Amino acid sequence: MQESKVITLLRHVVLLVFVAIAVYPALNVFSISLRPDNRLRSTDLAIIPENWSFKSYEQLFTEQPFLKWLANSLIVSTGVTVTGVALAAIGGYAFSRFRFVGRNATMLAILTTQMFPATMLLLPLYIVIAKLQLINTYLGLMVFYTSTALPFCVWQMKGFYDTIPASLEEAARIDGCSRGAAFWRVILPLAVPGLVITALFSFMAAWSEYIMAAQVMQDEEMFTLPLGLKSFQATLSTQWGLYAAASILVSLPVVVVFLLLSKYLVSGLTLGSVKE
Amino acid sequence: MTLKSAMLRRWAIRRVGAAHQYNACSWWAVPTLLVFAVVSGCSRHDSRTVITIWHQSRPTEKEFLQREIVEFEKTHPQVHVRALYKETEELRAGFQAAALAGGGPELIYGPSDVLGAFQTMGVVQDMTPWLPVESRDDFVPGALTYLPIRDDLAKKSLVQIGDRFGNHLALVYNRKFVPVPPKTTDELVALAVKNTLDEDGDGRKDRYGLVWNFTEPFFGIPFLTGFGGWVFAEPSSNARNAETATTAGGKIVPALDTPQAVAAWQFMQSLQEQGVAPRNCDYEAADSLFKSGKAAMIINGDWSWADYLKESSIDAAVAVLPTVNATGQPMRTMFAPKGYSLNVNTKQPVADLAMAFVQHMTSDVVQRRLVHELRMLPVRKIIQKDPLFETDSTLQASLAQLKNGRLMPTETELRAVWDAMRPPYQAVLGGGMTPAEAAKTMQREAISKIEQIHADAVPDNSVVALNIAGLVVVGALVVWQRHSFARFVSDWRRNRLAYLFVMPSVVCIFAVIVFPFFYNIVLSLSNMSLANFRDWRVVGLQNYIEVFGDAKIWAVFLKTIVWTAVNVAFHVGLGVLLAVALHGPVRGKSLYRILLIIPWAVPAYITALSWRGMFDYEYGAVNLILTQMAQFAPLRWLLSLANLSPPVNWLGDVGHAFQACIVANVWLGFPFMMVIALGGMQGIPHELYEAARIDRASRWQQFWHITLPLLKPVLLPAVTLGTIWTFNNLNVIWLVSNGGEPQDATHILVSYVYKAVFNLYRYGYGAALSMLIFFVLLAFSLVFLRRTRATESVYG
Repeated sequence: MQESKVITLLRHVVLLVFVAIAVYPALNVFSISLRPDNRLRSTDLAIIPENWSFKSYEQLFTEQPFLKWLANSLIVSTGVTVTGVALAAIGGYAFSRFRFVGRNATMLAILTTQMFPATMLLLPLYIVIAKLQLINTYLGLMVFYTSTALPFCVWQMKGFYDTIPASLEEAARIDGCSRGAAFWRVILPLAVPGLVITALFSFMAAWSEYIMAAQVMQDEEMFTLPLGLKSFQATLSTQWGLYAAASILVSLPVVVVFLLLSKYLVSGLTLGSVKE
Repeated sequence: MTLKSAMLRRWAIRRVGAAHQYNACSWWAVPTLLVFAVVSGCSRHDSRTVITIWHQSRPTEKEFLQREIVEFEKTHPQVHVRALYKETEELRAGFQAAALAGGGPELIYGPSDVLGAFQTMGVVQDMTPWLPVESRDDFVPGALTYLPIRDDLAKKSLVQIGDRFGNHLALVYNRKFVPVPPKTTDELVALAVKNTLDEDGDGRKDRYGLVWNFTEPFFGIPFLTGFGGWVFAEPSSNARNAETATTAGGKIVPALDTPQAVAAWQFMQSLQEQGVAPRNCDYEAADSLFKSGKAAMIINGDWSWADYLKESSIDAAVAVLPTVNATGQPMRTMFAPKGYSLNVNTKQPVADLAMAFVQHMTSDVVQRRLVHELRMLPVRKIIQKDPLFETDSTLQASLAQLKNGRLMPTETELRAVWDAMRPPYQAVLGGGMTPAEAAKTMQREAISKIEQIHADAVPDNSVVALNIAGLVVVGALVVWQRHSFARFVSDWRRNRLAYLFVMPSVVCIFAVIVFPFFYNIVLSLSNMSLANFRDWRVVGLQNYIEVFGDAKIWAVFLKTIVWTAVNVAFHVGLGVLLAVALHGPVRGKSLYRILLIIPWAVPAYITALSWRGMFDYEYGAVNLILTQMAQFAPLRWLLSLANLSPPVNWLGDVGHAFQACIVANVWLGFPFMMVIALGGMQGIPHELYEAARIDRASRWQQFWHITLPLLKPVLLPAVTLGTIWTFNNLNVIWLVSNGGEPQDATHILVSYVYKAVFNLYRYGYGAALSMLIFFVLLAFSLVFLRRTRATESVYG
């Protein structure tokens, strides 16, 4: 495909401007993590501060159970991502293709669970989790995160399936596929971009949450990363260096996950490649 | 379209053939491993009795605590002490919830100011049985906190045993600029004026004389006391260090509108008017100015001193705050004992073991180590006479400041007073209020907030009406939906696959939310508050009447709508723009993509704070960029048109603070929409564009007639939920505006709820307000989904 030079230039200008905007505040965080003197603010704009050092990073790995927290977070987030994607993949399909009784009502009901201010739900949720003896378990967190991520995931998958023409399944059915097989073999592979977004979203929902995690995880051994991170924070005496360094490290896995997943963000319904 | 469907068919056949390669096994390996991990994570065995302590100790104190736990476990091998750090508010809210659910840690450790609330709620127990009468005299007055028992006000219970004193403010000065600390406020002002410099004459100060936190009224207390004022009215002037501040009848009355208070705020404002203090200065800004040698003196608390003394580029020392010339009185600080309280749910024999640990921490040996290792102020009388107090100048100043300080009241009313003082305190220093107005507003607000804390609703007639209404609603539902079940049964056979597919999601979502949802509905009709925390009951519609009768809420509501609309518009607009820019032949596409999702990847709770730094009045990047832009006349004109002539007081000015929150939130949210739009674009067949090109459709026409309509099904859920999330986005507002600053003017509904619930313990009221939010969002979704036909499919 050929594009005029002007358009290409325009693309790059837009992208470069927004890359600068996207990156600068994050660079600021990086700068805090390099500061030797535990300061959030600075009176100059230099990204690499005077007397910079990687001491905060070193401390994270040597003096803090950072790796343990990382492992906990990975377990929880992976669990949530796998269940979230699996449930949303089938749930969204049903909402997209079937006109069953209570379909619209259920879709709306799913949405309503997101409408309540989360802070008001903490107290009753804590009571539930305590009564079910899920305090200090991965399962407690996973169930909660999955249920908060699912409404979006289901709706999103439904939206993706909607963009896939129903004629595809009909074609497969004519060739002797069952309804389930048509879904599994024809539709699901086409919905990969949707699955990727769903996966990324569920992962993020579990990866960065800390308010609920603080209720469930009562033992430093069981802390997820955001909780560990928050433990560097104290009213008026936060360890900014560690806090910023840990934040930077926390975001790296997200970037990695995105890198891995974005490979699948490009395929989808590429009919051009089917021509023989 | 016949050609196309034939192609689709062929393609589908190929997929069916290829599908045999799928291997289901690898899919199940991950969950199996996870289940294993979950199970093994739970099965750790330890025969020792576990005592959990929730504490809010700072890092060096935390290490000290850990060392002492090891010491204690040596003598008590049957006990395992588990210390868990919790941030102040987290500890308070978490402990309340845990205690209400019948659990929680055995001990909590922290400053005494929350004890009044804990005692009123009945979540801590009396520790008198563990403290022999004769050993009470070993403690300095104020170290042991006794509070009246709720049901029998004549009796008092021991609710906290302190192990150290702290949280007091003092003057820290940089000896490079201030060789001898000021003894009086006149000297302070003279020194401050001398040290306020603009060396390079660029209009920006290179050094300030004195800085302190302009946002927390706690830092204004030394000014107030120095001019002879105090937060509560006092029975008589000689009861200075008395434990109670009650006046006649046991009622606590704030004393914020007094000539003394006005004089204090006047003095504070004059410092700023003389230019010795910055125009805008929160805690982090003050800290950073002093650390970088750009402030000669700072008023800050004992927690910060070690950092300053350690800093090599400045030569810091701690001194007692000066005496006010006008009154001859010293500037007194508030201080608090920090110590242990026993959870009401801690039963014997665990309680004995827990108290043994408390005894250990208050023993002479540990108290001495506390002084020598942490340089903190002990609670034992003998240890306060330790020789180290003679030689260490910081300890000396610290003890002197403590001796003339005032004990922080434990009454719950103090929380109302802080809430009432905060906005006017900020306004006085932001130039929005005169000292007299500020004093008047503080007093008025404090009285009304104290009333709100104590509001104790009783059931009224509406309870009966509610019961009847509930029955009617249930009955109507049954009648209305009576055919549904039959239809469901007949539909089950036809659409069995659909039901099976939907079931897991529905079960998972609703299993978690059902109980909290109904709990909240009941709570919104109840009188759950500080006074009725454990024994609340349904009282009727009073909370709703209050919510709908409050004119202030509607202003906040309007602001929430603006907030939501602007944010979502920018999120979607920028997201789609960037996705379009990325969707096509672009070199370095994957690098762009990674860099553009960074705002989503880096945790918001730190980037929001970094935005706060960028909005700093003097040193923030935003103002520096605007200043550069204003060098060009057309841009300057545009900026002034938008009321953004630099420098803009982003965080101190009411309107701009809200804009700052929006900017930060737009930044946080656009990558998400971009990713969604990118994913959606992959699903649009290239053939459509090729066909359009053959028809000579312009790019804009292609975007408008192909891209957008086909993006719609993918974007709609994101927009709908994005709106809901933005409407309820507490975090950004809270972090960027530091809890609604300035002057509580940046609140959206959800932060308003949060403040009511967590600062003033108004659970019932908060639940009613949440129901309002819920119904607003429900109405929005119904209308929006209907108009956009979101539940229908695009090709259908």
